[in-house]
Amino acid sequence: MNLEKVIFGFFIVLALTLNFGFVYGEIDQPHHHPALELFAAIVVNMMATGVKLGDRSQVGAVLLATSLVADLQLIAAALVWTMAVHVTQTGMQPSVMASIVSLAAGAVLANIVSVVMLVMDTMMLRR
Amino acid sequence: MKRTNAIWSTDLERVTSIVLRYMRTPILLLIVISAVTILGMVMIPGQPVNGEPSHMSFFHALYFLTYTATTTGFGEIPIEFSDAQRLWAMFSLFISVVAWVYAIGSIFGLIQNPFFQRALAQRRFSLDVSRIKGSFYVLCGFGDTGSLLTRGLSDAGYTVTVIDNDPVRIEALSLRDYPVTMPGLCADAGVPRRLIAAGLEMPNCRGVVAVTGDEGINRKIAVMAHLINPKVCTVCRSTSPVEEEFLASLGTVTVVDPFDTFSHQLSLALHRPSVHTLGQWLVGARGVTLDAPLRPPIGIWIVCGFGRMGRSLHLSMKACGVPTKVIDPRVQGESTAEGYVVGHANARTLREAGVERAVGIVAATNSDSNNLGILLTARALNPRLFLLARQNRHDDEVAFQSIGADLVMQPSLVTARRMLFLLVSPMIHAFLEFLQEARVSLVVDTLRRLNEAVGDERPELWTEIISAELGQERAALKAKGFDLILGDLLRDTRDREQSVACVALVLKRWKQTSFLPKGSEVLQQGDQILFCGTVRARRQITVTLNDPYIREYLITGTEEARGLLAKWLLESWRRRQRMAVS
Repeated sequence: MNLEKVIFGFFIVLALTLNFGFVYGEIDQPHHHPALELFAAIVVNMMATGVKLGDRSQVGAVLLATSLVADLQLIAAALVWTMAVHVTQTGMQPSVMASIVSLAAGAVLANIVSVVMLVMDTMMLRR
Repeated sequence: MKRTNAIWSTDLERVTSIVLRYMRTPILLLIVISAVTILGMVMIPGQPVNGEPSHMSFFHALYFLTYTATTTGFGEIPIEFSDAQRLWAMFSLFISVVAWVYAIGSIFGLIQNPFFQRALAQRRFSLDVSRIKGSFYVLCGFGDTGSLLTRGLSDAGYTVTVIDNDPVRIEALSLRDYPVTMPGLCADAGVPRRLIAAGLEMPNCRGVVAVTGDEGINRKIAVMAHLINPKVCTVCRSTSPVEEEFLASLGTVTVVDPFDTFSHQLSLALHRPSVHTLGQWLVGARGVTLDAPLRPPIGIWIVCGFGRMGRSLHLSMKACGVPTKVIDPRVQGESTAEGYVVGHANARTLREAGVERAVGIVAATNSDSNNLGILLTARALNPRLFLLARQNRHDDEVAFQSIGADLVMQPSLVTARRMLFLLVSPMIHAFLEFLQEARVSLVVDTLRRLNEAVGDERPELWTEIISAELGQERAALKAKGFDLILGDLLRDTRDREQSVACVALVLKRWKQTSFLPKGSEVLQQGDQILFCGTVRARRQITVTLNDPYIREYLITGTEEARGLLAKWLLESWRRRQRMAVS
């Protein structure tokens, strides 16, 4: 067992699960999607990105790319939230919530790709 | 080319991967600490609003952290903090500042990391090399010979890529004022990757010069260059005859032995002084004129120092029948022979060697201070001596100039010049070798002609190739009863009875080389001619070779009409003349 692999897998899977947890629920219901979960998803996703830095393999490069996509999607979601609540003062409308959740759902896709690649890589090694 | 690209990309890959691996821990730490502090600010209850404890939003918490962690500090927003929040704010400030300092420190550490800097330098070097447009040479070793060669090659219009394992020399390279940037890399030139990075595989690489201080590395470079790109010519410095034989068998490798070259030049200076002077004059050495070649006296010579240089010198002097005496502190096999004085060169040993009766002295030890001392002592004992000195270090030039030696020779300069001739103008090299074997009267005559043509001006050497256009013109000239003759091309464009101030030294047709072609020589397409003359002469000949009307005038003596109407009028006038005659 390799501690680095454990940490690596832990962050990648946790990024997916937290992200999924935020997205799960009625798409336009603000009380189904707490801000705390989005925050946790962003932080864990960034951690996952950081863990992948400096991997010179081909798989490592693609994993880093998917992770960056997920970061981008989630940060965009957070920005939409901030704009709606603090800048334009429109408040949390169902339509705003829907766009935030759909952005986060995109990040879920990217995270699924990450996890699939991680599983495939592990299968290939057979160790 | 493909493999060269692969090298650049691995360079880039290495740099990025070093950066990312170095930055991983600081980035992770920053993320964790920011997350913890933001979460704390959001969770901790603030001042009550309308009786209920308020909570900071994530946006405000992030904003607060941004100015706290960077120690800017804008105060408490959006409303005044509760004491619990203040407690947490203090904690946040300390840990986030520590995290930031750690991250910035790592960045500075990375910049100062020697491996990172080397990777960066390599990447910059390969980029610079890939941008070279014209022909270039790869130079391994940037010592005295290397820097002289670089100067000579840059004067001839080439770029040089330099590899040396001494960072000080590479630094010196970047401070020189070359017309184009000479990319330099501090690395071991004996590694094939470095040679490829220096552009050995590029199609515009013309040659490799191996002049590092290590003979083994020089040989390795020559072999590798031959293997990686057999098309380039390789010049290698080596002092061992065994290696010379081995390398010469590779075909494209030319070996230059500095001691051999030096003693050859020296014996040339002693026995064919005019040829030596001509060689010096052609490369533009300072203070050399053709009207008064230095004439070393004939008689007994004293050689001080019997190392590799002195031995080689002694042999070549012996071969020319010059009686020599040797002074050397080492007791060797030859020490019992006649004319060998054991001991350091001082007043006693010099007297023992018969300095009063000698005509010249050669100070050929490998130490400049010794050589200067020998010259001073010898001159005090016999003021009429011809002083010939070996100058080992390029920096000691001033000392040798002020001592007033008749002839100062630098092994590095001699080697560099020979290599330069081999690389840039093999025709001059062949010409000088031809003169060494030629009759004295021919040499004297050549010197006189060059002196008349160029005089005190700086001699210019250049090669012209007879173009296809000129070759086709020959048929038309023949119809008129003329031919493409070298002498006609050398006529002055303003007055065809005069000739321009230059001398044709070498004519190369296919593989055949003839020296000092006569004015009556008929030229063919593809002929290469090496000229020596003034700058103005060079310009005039370029004009002659490019302007058909001027050429016509120079060859036939009549100026052709240029316009169609004038041509027709001239033709009809001539026809009428002919009719009148008949």
